[in-house]
Amino acid sequence: MFDEYLRSVLIFAGIHVIAAYSFYVPFKTGQISLGQAGFMGVGAYAAGIVTAKLGLPFPLGLLAGGVAAGLVGVGVGFPALRIRGIYLLLLTLGFAEIVQVIILTWDYTGGAQGFQNIPFLENALVWIYAIVAVLIVFFARLERSSLGRAMDAVHEDEMAAEVMGVDVVRVKLFAFGLGAFIAGLAGALFAHYSTYVDSVTFNILIGVEILMFVLVGGGFSYWGPLFGAMFLSLLPEFLRALRDPMELIPVSWTENAPWNRVYEVVYEFLDFENEKRLIVYGLVLVVMMILRPQGLITRNTMRPFRFVQRRMHDA
Amino acid sequence: MLGQQLINGLMLGASYSLVAIGYTLIFGVLRLLHFAHGEVFMVGAFIGLHVVLWFAFANIYVAIAGAMVVTALLGWIVARFAVQPVDKGYPLAPLISTIGVTIVLQNLAINIFGGEQVAFPETIEQILYRIGPLTISSVQIFILAVALLSMAALWLFIDRTRMGRAIRATSESHETAALLGVDVNRVVVVTFVVASALAGIAGVLDGVKNSAITPHMGLEVAVKALVVMLLGGLGNVPGAMVAGILLGMVEILTASYLGTSVRDFFTFVILILLLLYRPTGLFGTRTIESG
Amino acid sequence: MPESTASPFLRAAGLTKRFGGFHALRDVDIEVRERAIHAVIGPNGAGKTTLFNLLSGVMAPDSGEIAFLDRPLGRLRPHRRAALGIARTFQNIRLFGHMTVLENVMLGEHWRIYPSLWRSFVKASLHRPLGEAREETEMRRRALETLEFVGLADRRHVMATDLPYGEQRLLELGRALAMEPRLLLLDEPAAGMNIRETEDLDALICKVRDRGVTVVLVEHDMNLVMGISDRITVLNFGDKIAEGSPSEVQLNPAVIEAYLGEEGTL
Repeated sequence: MFDEYLRSVLIFAGIHVIAAYSFYVPFKTGQISLGQAGFMGVGAYAAGIVTAKLGLPFPLGLLAGGVAAGLVGVGVGFPALRIRGIYLLLLTLGFAEIVQVIILTWDYTGGAQGFQNIPFLENALVWIYAIVAVLIVFFARLERSSLGRAMDAVHEDEMAAEVMGVDVVRVKLFAFGLGAFIAGLAGALFAHYSTYVDSVTFNILIGVEILMFVLVGGGFSYWGPLFGAMFLSLLPEFLRALRDPMELIPVSWTENAPWNRVYEVVYEFLDFENEKRLIVYGLVLVVMMILRPQGLITRNTMRPFRFVQRRMHDA
Repeated sequence: MLGQQLINGLMLGASYSLVAIGYTLIFGVLRLLHFAHGEVFMVGAFIGLHVVLWFAFANIYVAIAGAMVVTALLGWIVARFAVQPVDKGYPLAPLISTIGVTIVLQNLAINIFGGEQVAFPETIEQILYRIGPLTISSVQIFILAVALLSMAALWLFIDRTRMGRAIRATSESHETAALLGVDVNRVVVVTFVVASALAGIAGVLDGVKNSAITPHMGLEVAVKALVVMLLGGLGNVPGAMVAGILLGMVEILTASYLGTSVRDFFTFVILILLLLYRPTGLFGTRTIESG
Repeated sequence: MPESTASPFLRAAGLTKRFGGFHALRDVDIEVRERAIHAVIGPNGAGKTTLFNLLSGVMAPDSGEIAFLDRPLGRLRPHRRAALGIARTFQNIRLFGHMTVLENVMLGEHWRIYPSLWRSFVKASLHRPLGEAREETEMRRRALETLEFVGLADRRHVMATDLPYGEQRLLELGRALAMEPRLLLLDEPAAGMNIRETEDLDALICKVRDRGVTVVLVEHDMNLVMGISDRITVLNFGDKIAEGSPSEVQLNPAVIEAYLGEEGTL
């Protein structure tokens, strides 16, 4: 259906979306984690052990990845209850680093050589987008549920939420664990698409990137992670795709100076292999934070779309 | 053996301290985690290298001066164009913005200097001094001297100058500082400039020490310096100085007795234990004080 | 008012809370009767808000005991006290600003509908995946009733922070009422309200009491306090200096002395 390249771009974008939702859940209760890459690592290795080492089918591996990461997540969630802000950021960063070191030194899964020969998942695209669809439905419902409101309340004012009857401790732990579970799914999917993971695969820059997906997309709407991860994953491809219309420009228009030079520079700039593209990506981030610090999507952005539904309920 | 390791630890720690001081200054004044600070360190190393390569007359002192000037300018650019225009009402937005700067700087460096490790030429004649059982090289003495001098200069700046006082006042409270007639925006810019220049020095020293630099060197130092900042206490500049050297020594000792992979594990276990049981660091958090 | 029965509705004994060397509350006893409007007054810094923090579980006392319906509360966390029927408002309004008025009130109903987090998770994820849980519709209906009661029904889709000050106070009250509490702690509900709003609030608090809710009220507006309270406790620098009916308290020399120099008179 798609050519191989486009397929792989979409697969990675989908994994990014799932990872972004894994950040979104704890963020909904005000917990900021730089360690989601660590949970992805836990999920990837747990799933890899189940499929590659034990020879069990992929769905079991996927489940194992999610559950293992989720359990570790609850474990990290307990200390996370006591701290917030920059301290929590550092705690989760430290956690991700520790995961990396353990991966590096664990010989059973290849240690520094990496975990090799993880079975390839044939229809990864279908699996990934099925999970994305389930997540979107879930978060749409969460948004209009008591639990979702309780999470928002904890984000805004823990004391007021607690006085209103919200069990803040359990809600935060739950959010951290669920976020880790989703990150574990993302890790398991990644491992079975690339068939190889090592300690560098889930380094802290990945954790930073996940945070960026959500905050660029907008952390206060469940559409934010989807848009943010898609936008930032596909932006480089859009830039590259701009070369196709450029090639339609008749050569006679651009053969003379200075146009030939301009053409060359722009053409090269849009090249996928070129780090200049990432420079643009970084600049886009800075400019976005200046122009739209709340992220692309906010609750207000989506408000008009809820109009119909509100009319139904108001009667 | 132990004494020798402690000297090596001191070397490693001195560069952690220099980078961590910058973090601490910026955190003290803006409550901002300046994510790109490690990249400023990397840029400093490359500028130092190229000053040495390009100019026949250049020695290591010129290289350090050159790196300081360029990173100070970089600090100014980051403050004016990536931090100040961002709305403070969104606490995470400046962080993301500096992440953007990180990506820009790292890829600019890869673009200009190439993605590979490059050798840092020998700029100081290697002379080994023996003091009892210990061996100290001229390079080590140089690094330590420059690092300590820079920290002393910073201390004088914070303690004795008008701008230093303004920085201290701003780290207490922006409102109060503004009421006292401090131009807070200028203080923020100056803080970035000073912090970045220190990171620039640290970058060159790192090149001298390891004889090689890469565009990827920023991240590891940045993460370690974050640990140091916390260890010393958020916003506590003298704390960061001491904590940097402490972490350097601990790392060298664990690496030599337990192996390098255990070293990082150990570092981050310390980080997590600190966060849980002593989030104010070893020496307490404070607003920027002279000591 | 029914006279005090054998076991009081709310009883606090020997409450003490220190901040450093400063006594915010010192050995304070207080008894609140069911269906009463009980005011707690005193100059600034008398310890009124600290008392509320101890009653609602936001802070733990250094010593002393609180019993609600004969049940010692000990170190029960705030959400468990909420489940027992204790609700409160905050002096420095603490609404959820990113939520609408309606959502704020719906949050107040949280514990009643979903005492179990797992059940709420299952409801949120599995039950009728594309529609809305029946409980949600029910909650919305009840929240609207509550909003009508406090007079904010037509403002239900406004963001909480966009409300004017007086209406924010009303919303705090509504959010607390949505919890269907047996005991309602109101911390300066009239602060920042104009005279007309205060009069409406006066009537509203009486209506709340008539619904069977016991009200404990911290308030500086003495007209309001004297007009609606059944009983008044007076605190000064952490000590209880007087207790009694409004007329008793008004004539108490210790009270008059404590208020000398304070703006306004009794």
